[in-house]
Amino acid sequence: MRVAGPLVAELRKTLTLPAAWAGIAVVVLGSIAITVLNAVTTRSAIDAGTPERVANTSAFEAAFAAMPLGTVGAVVLGVVMISSEYAANSTDAGGGRQITATLTAMPRRVSLLAAKATVLVVLVIAVAAITLPITAGIATAVIGGAGTETVTPAQALMRGLGGALYWTLTGLIATAVTLLTRSGLIAPIVLIANSSVVSVSLLLTNLTPLAHWLPDLAGRRLFTGVDTVDGGLAAGPGALVMAGWTVLLLAVAAVVFRRRDA
Amino acid sequence: MGTRVLAAELDKLRTLPVIGFTMVGTVLTGVVIAAALAASAAAQGTPSTVVELVLAAVPFVQVGIILLGVLPAGHEYDGRQIATTLVAVPDRARALAGKTMATVAVVGAGAALSIGAAHASAAIAAGVTEVTLTADRAPWRLAGAIAYLAVIGLLAHAVAVAVRHLVPALVAMLGLMVIISPVAAGLTEHARWLPDRAASQLYADTDALLTGASGALVAVAWLAAIGTLAAFRFIRLDP
Repeated sequence: MRVAGPLVAELRKTLTLPAAWAGIAVVVLGSIAITVLNAVTTRSAIDAGTPERVANTSAFEAAFAAMPLGTVGAVVLGVVMISSEYAANSTDAGGGRQITATLTAMPRRVSLLAAKATVLVVLVIAVAAITLPITAGIATAVIGGAGTETVTPAQALMRGLGGALYWTLTGLIATAVTLLTRSGLIAPIVLIANSSVVSVSLLLTNLTPLAHWLPDLAGRRLFTGVDTVDGGLAAGPGALVMAGWTVLLLAVAAVVFRRRDA
Repeated sequence: MGTRVLAAELDKLRTLPVIGFTMVGTVLTGVVIAAALAASAAAQGTPSTVVELVLAAVPFVQVGIILLGVLPAGHEYDGRQIATTLVAVPDRARALAGKTMATVAVVGAGAALSIGAAHASAAIAAGVTEVTLTADRAPWRLAGAIAYLAVIGLLAHAVAVAVRHLVPALVAMLGLMVIISPVAAGLTEHARWLPDRAASQLYADTDALLTGASGALVAVAWLAAIGTLAAFRFIRLDP
């Protein structure tokens, strides 16, 4: 009960937020849409006898192109989980914030943060477990045996797990940043923009190799294949560096959260 | 009367600290990114031009402009200020027109200031870091970049009015501009009809089909479609 109670409470609070479902829908439906578009383009290129028109004809790659959307979903989940606690209610209803009720019910703040982080991890992994098989299945159904599969099942599994890990760590960083700033604006801007082609970190790598140690770039090999840039850390050490950043930010957020007024 | 609504909306924005921070942040983004692009061009020995460096900074600046566009309408729903606003200006079309004009002013100022600052920064950085300069591209492209940013900011405003929430509107705009649009562009040539791709022809002639004028028209069509939906919801439905 001691552990399960806060977990169930946080899971329930998160799943009753419309914004959380919007985030989940972006990942699942958006990824399906991109996969369908990509697979149909690839299939028609193969059928027309011009497979060189597309980068490759692998069904897995067609599905995997949608992976960046998962980062958006994870960031949305990580942000709304915290920002909803701090959003002020309507003044007609007293203008209160949910965080006061939450802290009255669960006065141990570090345990509360741990429960929230656990719920986020569970949700992101669940979304990945739904999205990746569906999109891979759609791509395989559309492209079928017409394309050349360049990715072995073992590689596909590793890349899927790596991508899910990247989503999870990014979501946790979003949680930590939102808790530190108590505002839902900073984390989405920095994390969504930076995970795209409009990446400040990527630009920084042209100026200093140290930028490869930033969390988003350190972890990008987890995707292997998507926007590969030369140099930087390999997948394993990169994942460790990104996890280190996540733990650090969560620890700072936990200390600040514990010490300051709600 | 119309000017008083506009003045009231501008006053609200002036007293909203986050608008000031965003404005400063957007201009600084332009300055830093343009300088960083110049330094990286110099480091790699790629010949470039000052105008090109500024234009390459536009995708980064647009993130700040999106926030500037989302805030005026979005913050009204962050709390219930919208109720007060509509008590003060019961004519909803007029309230929306005032807010839109105030947003145009803020977004336009943000776009012009950041492109201007980025231009100064790129010129200085190119001189300091000794970038190999080639013949400069037409400076009117800078005006095109400002127009592009204004269109994106207005689109963000329309989305915020339609969605009625700050963070969802921000995430939707960011997701469309920096994730969906580049991913779609890699997959299909039809991505040129997306609002940001079409509007980007205002400053970049990268597309085989759309020109500056027709690209702008496509973007305006998007703006009209989303804006009409947003205006209908604002004027006819409960706030």
